[in-house]
Amino acid sequence: MSGGYRQQPGASGGTTRKDGKRVAGKQAFPPPGSGGSRPKMSTRDLDFIPESVGGKEPQPAGSHIHDRVRTGTSVGKEMPLVDSNAKVTGQAWYGDDVRLPNEVIGKILRSPHHYAKIKSIDTSRVEALPGVLAVATGADSPHRFGVLPVTKDEHAMAVEKVRHVGDLVACVAAIDEATALEALNLFDVEWEVLEPVFDPKKGLEDADEPIHWRGKYHLAKTNVQKRVFQEFGDRSLVEKPHAASHGKWNMAGVHHGFTEPHAVVAHWDPNGRLQLYTPQQVPHYTHRALSTVLEVPMHQINVIRTFVGGGFGGKSDPFPHEMCAAILSRKSGRPVRITFDREEVYWINRGRHPSHIEVKMTADEDARISGFDIDALIDGGGFASFGHVTSYYNGVLATAPYELGSFHYTGARVWTNKPASGAMRGHGAVNTRCAVEVGLDEMAETMKVDPIDLRLANLLPPHSRTISGFRITSNGMREALEKVREGSNWDDKFRQLPLGKGIGIGCGFFISGSGLPIHWDPNRFPHATVHMQVDMDGGVTVHTGAADIGQGSTTAVAQVVSEVLALPIEMIHVRSHESDTSPVDLGSYSSRVTFMNANAAIRAALEIREQLLNAAWEILGYHPNNLVLNDRRIYYKHDPAIGVSYLKALHKAQEDKGALIASGAYRSPPMGGVHKGAAAGLAPAYSFSAYVAEVDVDVETGLIKCTNVWAAHDCGKALNPLAVKGQIIGSCHMGLGQVLSEKMVYGRTGHLQNPNLLDYKIPSVYEMPHVEPIIIESCDPEGPFGAKEAGEGPLLPILPAVVNAVYDAIGIRLRDLPLTPDVVFKGIEKALKASEHEDPTDLPSPRLTHGALQPTLVARAQEHKIRDKARQRTEDTSPYVNGVLFGFDPTIPLEDQVEGWRTATEPDPEQLAELGLAGRAWLKKEQRHMEGEN
Amino acid sequence: MLMPPFTLHNPTSVEEACSLAGMLLEKGEEFDWVAGGTDLLPNYKWHINPKPHVISLARIDGVDTLSLHEIGCMARLGDLTEENGIHPLIVEAASKVASSLVRRNATLGGNLCLDTRCFWYNQGEDWRRSIDWCHKADCGTGADCRVIPNQNTLCVATYQGDIAPTLMVLNAEVHLIGPNGLRILPLSEFYQLDGMTKNVLAKGEFLLKVTLSEESAQRTGSYQKLRVRDSWDFPEAGVAASWVPGDASSLQIATTALESIPRCHPEEVATVLEAGWDGMNSVKALAASVRKSIKPVNNTSLPPRYRKSMVRVLTKRAVEKILD
Repeated sequence: MSGGYRQQPGASGGTTRKDGKRVAGKQAFPPPGSGGSRPKMSTRDLDFIPESVGGKEPQPAGSHIHDRVRTGTSVGKEMPLVDSNAKVTGQAWYGDDVRLPNEVIGKILRSPHHYAKIKSIDTSRVEALPGVLAVATGADSPHRFGVLPVTKDEHAMAVEKVRHVGDLVACVAAIDEATALEALNLFDVEWEVLEPVFDPKKGLEDADEPIHWRGKYHLAKTNVQKRVFQEFGDRSLVEKPHAASHGKWNMAGVHHGFTEPHAVVAHWDPNGRLQLYTPQQVPHYTHRALSTVLEVPMHQINVIRTFVGGGFGGKSDPFPHEMCAAILSRKSGRPVRITFDREEVYWINRGRHPSHIEVKMTADEDARISGFDIDALIDGGGFASFGHVTSYYNGVLATAPYELGSFHYTGARVWTNKPASGAMRGHGAVNTRCAVEVGLDEMAETMKVDPIDLRLANLLPPHSRTISGFRITSNGMREALEKVREGSNWDDKFRQLPLGKGIGIGCGFFISGSGLPIHWDPNRFPHATVHMQVDMDGGVTVHTGAADIGQGSTTAVAQVVSEVLALPIEMIHVRSHESDTSPVDLGSYSSRVTFMNANAAIRAALEIREQLLNAAWEILGYHPNNLVLNDRRIYYKHDPAIGVSYLKALHKAQEDKGALIASGAYRSPPMGGVHKGAAAGLAPAYSFSAYVAEVDVDVETGLIKCTNVWAAHDCGKALNPLAVKGQIIGSCHMGLGQVLSEKMVYGRTGHLQNPNLLDYKIPSVYEMPHVEPIIIESCDPEGPFGAKEAGEGPLLPILPAVVNAVYDAIGIRLRDLPLTPDVVFKGIEKALKASEHEDPTDLPSPRLTHGALQPTLVARAQEHKIRDKARQRTEDTSPYVNGVLFGFDPTIPLEDQVEGWRTATEPDPEQLAELGLAGRAWLKKEQRHMEGEN
Repeated sequence: MLMPPFTLHNPTSVEEACSLAGMLLEKGEEFDWVAGGTDLLPNYKWHINPKPHVISLARIDGVDTLSLHEIGCMARLGDLTEENGIHPLIVEAASKVASSLVRRNATLGGNLCLDTRCFWYNQGEDWRRSIDWCHKADCGTGADCRVIPNQNTLCVATYQGDIAPTLMVLNAEVHLIGPNGLRILPLSEFYQLDGMTKNVLAKGEFLLKVTLSEESAQRTGSYQKLRVRDSWDFPEAGVAASWVPGDASSLQIATTALESIPRCHPEEVATVLEAGWDGMNSVKALAASVRKSIKPVNNTSLPPRYRKSMVRVLTKRAVEKILD
């Protein structure tokens, strides 16, 4: 042994005698690493070290590649988010909290028309108003932008025409808000009002003046922005169904309802660089769009993400008001702040698409699901936003967790003269998921089987492929279903409760990160990059572009670094606010951050770890393989007394190079099919969830009260169980809003009637049921320490669980969301008429007597449970693709085994006549194929 | 949202308030009274009919009385929800108003004089500009009603207060005071069509207090409120019922949140009583006839047809409850 410090481990002293002299052979404990609230090293927390590496943390789903770097420091422990102190003390700085010296106020002139051409804008009266410092119109911003490179259709302010009431027309910066508001009344705009389109069904038809024009790619003269056709599998399987369900849904648009309204501050600094402060989920896209719109290279722009007061997808587009602030600031030479009123928040929208969804499904005589047939017409409002993706997600995210005989999807997104829809928590998956899960419930009822058993007997196993080619890795679906069944006492309640009381099941499936980084080829650049720096004080500064929008991404990054380096979380400082200092990151959407960013952070931390261990090796003489990191100390694994403090090791490592620097990146493995649209819905991992909801329905008024929810979500591994539970409960709340009361109401004149938080009815804490969050850990092989997403997936199951519970309570299938009391009452009135009862309290409550298929399903589920366990723990690594349940061989391409097994992304001509509502978009031709027809 | 500028007056006595009102009237200056401000100020922030002067009643002593027989205009709804010796029916209704946060500020006077509501009207300025304004806040354009177009004589905005119907069925009287003195009238005569006129308050008058007779103390009552969120929504329909236990002839029903004013339904009650009281059958008949008598329009969250249907259920429940 050379150098180093020999020393008894443990926190308590014993190094000095009562007379003050040093105990022979013992030295004063070396100084612990600076930072941390505990002055002494704590013992290794074996409860948080996995079994596979000698700890006590159980691993029923198998071991993980990151197990060897677990230190029992942070991962798996419930801890408050690292930014929570700032938030609860009111010191977090949100968009509107930014105050720069000499700031002026920007206000936006908005369209009073649904759809109109701007013939002229005269700003002379505005400019003449004392106190006005700058005025801008569409002429100042001719460049298009948009969140997706394929659909850039937005301008900072309207160029040529406005597309919805509230669309941006012009903007003004003035010395104060009152002056700016006064100035708005002085714009003289000459309009030519156009015929608006509100009904998405009408959007499928040719119009005199389509809302956007895509040139040769425009679909006839319709308002269709995107159409999708996908067909997989053997369609002959659906021809003679044993059971079927057919439902037409009408789902209202909903808004994210985040607390913080949009706000932005733009400032051109003395060096002529733009500093833009904005609460953005995706600062990098704003960065790109600003560069385009302002014609300034990206390195001359610094996007500073403020704290984000809730995003949920609603702050992930580059926004026109961000451009406006930058333009006004450039013109006025003063910092410009624009803060939205709540109605402006609703006008910029990007909420969930109002949707008409039709789902047909069939099951065969073995209660296998022989086909899903989904048609989704979604109302995009005035702009594309994320709609291209949404159009796919409405279909493809229904291809799991069940094994399907065939899958058929037609989708269309149309422009209408309403505020633009976009991405919202559970993007594109929520509405179809609800329709599918309710359909399964209905099929279970016709087959006289328990809906949970129907699901359990039709699940795709871990490490399999969906019918559309998605690669499923870890899969905790089965366990989630079992846990909620048990927790809710399902078997004693389902179809046994009195009228007005009901219980229902719903499942969810969601992406954990989008497989395709929108702006570049994943084979060239990674999805996420994290930089790390450790200087002499021992604190670790982590630079990431991951945008914490309240979901806790900063905490997740801090936790994994803390875990790898065995440092208290207070020693990890995450810097993620500025594009000047952050590596490029795609931002917080598609539930990618924990998966991708934490993986990148682990990579970087591993590099630092290696350098520390090598330094300790030099000091202690033990090879890093024999060294243990624990709480600011590195020691010999067989004799913890032989060790070195973290700080000593760090300083040794720094001797020749100064601060330790590392960079880590994450890229997803190559995966997915090759068909058109194959990348949509592709993710390196998927989350699964199952909820049971219990409701009380007042049969006389139609009022629904959700009383209890058992919510199981497979997040792979809960890095921070407290945060996961928070996400589950929060998702429940948001989903309950959509299913029970939230609705963007467009009245008979096409105006959004409720752009405020009194009339847009988000449930309050008072309306919340008791939610029992149940965390399922399926240990994803590629996730950071096994983790997958927990921020969006948990929203999906609550909708169908409630709708199914309402059926259990009153025996009525409702397919208009939200289930406001008038909708329920209408259903009750109809049921009364049909059953010739007069009093709703006399309505029959649905009951279930198991049919012959029930034991078949239970037996199959039991077999599959054994299969799944072996596959999850990779004891069985044989290939499994969707279709095995139907008797196909997974090692041979299905096309070669079944005649008629197809993968199609365009309808056959003979299919055209039978396509659903959205499918009608396929009756139209693109302009480039229409020569001579116009 | 920027509050439009106004001059705030803070009289410290009823007399001062009245003379102040008289003075402003003489000068031809427009003004609003403000009590708790939970109704007026949001409207001001939306620039809905703001006035250059606002007279606050908050500093006047002795107008927040609270007893079985008298409740002052400045009595906070939060205090009405606690059993301060006031009638339990009022407690029931007050505790269903808005949220506890709002109730801490909101007052009885403000609740009784609540501005009528309509989703074409309770909107920001830009929004209202986009519909070319409406009859109730026409900004000098003479705009038509947006709920029932082509009739610009009537405003059909809905009165959505919770407490008025309960005070009505308790036969409460209101005391109105202004530059021309005090007058007292039954609450059931206080409200006056339409959604703009709202009530009989003359210019410069304000509602000073509510008094309740000895008889009201003997009454038991129930208030049934329909809304989507129990936490803080305005009523979409509300029915109050009371009687002197055992005496069917004393039965009173009043409805709210269904029309521009809350109102009593003496005729419907009388018709059912004439046929002879027959327990639940009478309740059902009464519920059906009250339902028939009201005409909600489409300007609140829930559709009028549904709200109308619910009147039957609410009436039935209210009466059932007091019969128990």
